[in-house]
Amino acid sequence: MGEILRATGEALSLLFSGEPALWDIIGISFSVSLRAILVSAPLAVLVAFVLTVARFPGRRTLISTFNSLMAVPAVVVGLTVYLLLSRSGPMGDLKLLFTQAAMIIGQIVLAFPLLVAMSHAALQAAERDAWETAITLGARPWQAMLTIMYEVRFALLAAVIAGFARIIAEVGCSMMVGGNILGVTRNIPTAIALETSKGEFVQGIALGMVLLFLALFLNFVLSFMQGKGELH
Amino acid sequence: MRMGGEPLLAVARFELPAGSCTILSGRNGAGKTTLLKIAAGLMRPDQATVQTGGTCVDWRSARPTLRKHSIYMHQHAYMFDTSVADNVAYGLRKAGVPAAQRNDAVHKALEWAGLAQLAARNARHLSGGERQRLALARARVLSPAVLLLDEPTTNMDREARQQSFFLIRRLVSEGTGVVIASHDRQIIGQLGDQHLHLADGRLREMDMDSAAAHTRTTAAIAQSAGEAL
Repeated sequence: MGEILRATGEALSLLFSGEPALWDIIGISFSVSLRAILVSAPLAVLVAFVLTVARFPGRRTLISTFNSLMAVPAVVVGLTVYLLLSRSGPMGDLKLLFTQAAMIIGQIVLAFPLLVAMSHAALQAAERDAWETAITLGARPWQAMLTIMYEVRFALLAAVIAGFARIIAEVGCSMMVGGNILGVTRNIPTAIALETSKGEFVQGIALGMVLLFLALFLNFVLSFMQGKGELH
Repeated sequence: MRMGGEPLLAVARFELPAGSCTILSGRNGAGKTTLLKIAAGLMRPDQATVQTGGTCVDWRSARPTLRKHSIYMHQHAYMFDTSVADNVAYGLRKAGVPAAQRNDAVHKALEWAGLAQLAARNARHLSGGERQRLALARARVLSPAVLLLDEPTTNMDREARQQSFFLIRRLVSEGTGVVIASHDRQIIGQLGDQHLHLADGRLREMDMDSAAAHTRTTAAIAQSAGEAL
């Protein structure tokens, strides 16, 4: 217990000392996950909108598929992306394995079903009257779509925050496709796994504190957003 | 028009004359809302033609025209999650009206509806009667040829109903063709220039009250509701 407390104290000192290697890892985590969310979120919301308003064969099956894909473990996603990007895989020539691009691809695949499912739920909750009111007042369909998204903006933001929270804390996918290379693909979760396996707890605890603080902060914001999105 | 395989509407002709108020009555589930939404271009019928002026086209081809020249109002008008002024400005903004012109039109519409003092308030914080007046102002500012109102005074107190009646009558006098789906006898008696009844999917023209009683009642509405606003 004393050892853990000592390590925690050192971890706090390490964090506030601005140690470059530590903050490099934190920077890579945020950079990779933010880029993954920026790419996946708009497309996911668009897909969710189509699933909400369009009627086509297989629509319900597609919705169920996205809901089910949320449950796929991160390491399975990582394995799948690894096989695709490996030298013998169909995208091996792109030489993306063990790069930040591979991590971004993996996190996009991980976040996309969650973003679609939650965005779809948010858009479904929007009243059909909102769509009809927008159209009857002269909005074109794409304008009405933006209006509806604005009407459920808090729920959509909650979906994006939930997606971000999932990918920034995952280790399975990042470890497999990133390779945990210092200064390149070592992010917070993979660094914690590595340092803990070496018995070096100080950096692991410091990074764990960052992740814990981030998780609490994101969940607080999520609760706030979902509260704002409640029916008036 | 069919719903679930069963015929819902088999309307031979549904005429929407300008500058008059048509009451569309019928029991719940008769298809009044469906008919109004088809006329507004919001719901696609199985088969329908639209005649404007001397031209007759199928509903699908006429849909842009229907949407451009008519506005449908839900039983409980949907309020966008923004201010009263922004709600009124919505259609003008989508039409690309310049800001100065838009603001002037919004201000006049709010004055018309007696809502100028509530311009900055979130529209969802309005009472039922205020929402209805806002919805009428939001429609009027776009100068539609036809305004389709679906049970507009449900759950309203007497004062709110009279205020709505007053504004609807003003819209009619300004040349808008108004259709009100309602089985409320007071609406039929006080607002209707013609009365159509929807039953078994078909429209039937009904007799109206005498012109003298109608005129007296209209004058009384104008006086009392105008003072209230």
